[in-house]
Amino acid sequence: MIWSIAWRNVWRNKLRSLVMIAAIALGLFAGVFTMAFMQGAVDARIESATKTELAHLQVHAPEFLVNNDIALKIDNADEILGNIAALDSVVAASQRLIAEPFIMAAHGTGGGKLIGVVPEQEKKVTDIWEKIVDGAYLEHDSRMPPVVVGEKLAKRLRLKVGTRINVQMVDRHGNLSVKGYRVSGIYRTTNTSYDESTLFVKFKDLQAQLGMEENSAHEIAILLENGDEASAVKPSIQKVAGNYEVQTWKEISPEMSLLTDSMDQYMYVFILIILLALCFGIINTMLMAVLERVKEIGMLMAVGMNRRRIFFMIILESVLLTVSGGILGMLIGSVVTKFFETRPINLAMFAQGLEEYGFASQIYTSLRGETLITIGILVIITGVLSAVWPARKALKLNPAEATRTE
Amino acid sequence: MKIIEIKNLKKTYEDNSVPVHAVNGVDLSIEEGEFTAIVGPSGSGKTTLLNVVGGLDDATEGTVIIDGMEINTLSSRKLTDFRMFNIGFVFQAYNLIPVFTAKENVEFVMHLQGAKKAHREARSTELLKAVGLGEMMDRRPSKLSGGQQQRVAVARALASKPKFVLADEPTANLDSKSTENLLDIMEQLNKNENITFIFSTHDQRVVNKARRVVTLEDGKVKSDEKRE
Ligand SMILES: Nc1ncnc2c1ncn2[C@@H]1O[C@H](COP(=O)(O)OP(=O)(O)OP(=O)(O)O)[C@@H](O)[C@H]1O
Ligand SMILES: [Mg+2]
Repeated sequence: MIWSIAWRNVWRNKLRSLVMIAAIALGLFAGVFTMAFMQGAVDARIESATKTELAHLQVHAPEFLVNNDIALKIDNADEILGNIAALDSVVAASQRLIAEPFIMAAHGTGGGKLIGVVPEQEKKVTDIWEKIVDGAYLEHDSRMPPVVVGEKLAKRLRLKVGTRINVQMVDRHGNLSVKGYRVSGIYRTTNTSYDESTLFVKFKDLQAQLGMEENSAHEIAILLENGDEASAVKPSIQKVAGNYEVQTWKEISPEMSLLTDSMDQYMYVFILIILLALCFGIINTMLMAVLERVKEIGMLMAVGMNRRRIFFMIILESVLLTVSGGILGMLIGSVVTKFFETRPINLAMFAQGLEEYGFASQIYTSLRGETLITIGILVIITGVLSAVWPARKALKLNPAEATRTE
Repeated sequence: MKIIEIKNLKKTYEDNSVPVHAVNGVDLSIEEGEFTAIVGPSGSGKTTLLNVVGGLDDATEGTVIIDGMEINTLSSRKLTDFRMFNIGFVFQAYNLIPVFTAKENVEFVMHLQGAKKAHREARSTELLKAVGLGEMMDRRPSKLSGGQQQRVAVARALASKPKFVLADEPTANLDSKSTENLLDIMEQLNKNENITFIFSTHDQRVVNKARRVVTLEDGKVKSDEKRE
């Protein structure tokens, strides 16, 4: 009966409660939607980082990622690659050669990272080949070896499909080597700084230019069924990789997991600020509810409702009020985010700025169940805390209030 | 059997600059089955006396012994439970729970006492029928007249099976017909079920129904007359 009295008391002053519920609903809708939006942006960034750039795990010679020294190579790359690809949890693996050349074109020069890939392997591991916006992926075969460049670099150096560039680097023997490549395709990812600095050529062409030994590679990139399993799968890959270093995408790119974690923290701070603001409204509502019921509370005490029960009743009223608004807000928030899960929010207006940081300009919202549960718990806590002061006021009342006339 | 014994009871309100001796040395005892009216001019201390006897307010001096228990010594928590099991209250302003129906109002006290649902249902129905509200059990107080609300309050006061019922000016807000009706019900309950009633009043017609009349003046008992 305490639940029923509390619930009905919430609806005693319909207008006042509805205004408060609407405020809570609005606040939580904003919170849920913003969280889903930011989560969507982060998910997209991580997805592009893993699907397009890093894959889930990589194998290198120790120190290679620190020095980028072409001498730090994986010697028996074919064998290791074969063994890794044979593992159950591995979807595909691809070997790569990596150089840091100087690029010369008719309209400018630039630096960057030149990745030599075996197209048939690489297509199974990353999706750069699907991001070609002009030309073809390393497939056209003229006399000059093909190179795929990012759109941003192409714009800067005014490259088109068929344009020739000269690529200069120091080879394995310490000699300067210059080789001409022809642009076969131009790609675009959502990360413009990646597009500006990453070029792809065929494995054998880079092998020849660098003078690399047969059967050696700088990097093996590995794709799993599920990126979250990367650290779980890592030991079995390490076994196959021997003394070479195996790293998950989070280890290679720690800013990615930092992004997820710090985004979570920011969002909870944001929600807490919303709830704090709502807190004042709830305190006010509950205080009014107590002060206009002084006589009634006195009567409840007189007929045998002890202070603990009175306290519980007031807290319960506040929680029911808050949770009503909370559920409404989260419901609207979920429905709206569901809608934008399949229809992206286009941020074309601000997209340039975002893509500089690697964020897509079209964002699909993403709302996690655990986010809703956490917000739900915070809402209940808010309801309880906001009612403590009004409830204490109720406890200070005296049962003799019941007999007061005037 | 003596159920209430009041000895040298004093209640002084200190919150004003001049202390008010609202109850100023009252000695009184009430036997089981009495039907007692407390009368006296406004400000004579009727409400204060009933509050202190009912454990709604504490005494400044003196003792109130109910069924052998000195209630001034109880902690606030124990006192609340004591009231719940031993004393029924009827208030001038009815003081029903507005969000509950008549039946739920009567049930609520039994719920606080921990009674089972079946028992609560049966007893609340029986009591509401006894006060003539068998047809209106599912109405909320706002849909009942003052007299009907006060009859619900009487049913509620009896729900907990108290040793006695305290009523501070139960008819002050009622018209004469409702007053008569309520008094009849109280008299019936007193005669048939031997329920002890103590009520304060200004209304001479109510006083005429009482079988004992205690008159207060300036916080003291001026006269105490029993009639059969
Ligand atoms: N809470 C209080 N604080 C201070 N003084 C009070 C308080 N309650 C009552 N009094 C004073 O105590 C005296 C007795 O009041 P009480 O209400 O008991 O009289 P009463 O006989 O019930 O009067 P009425 O017939 O008007 O209801 C009055 O002088 C009143 O002003
Ligand atoms: Mg009075």
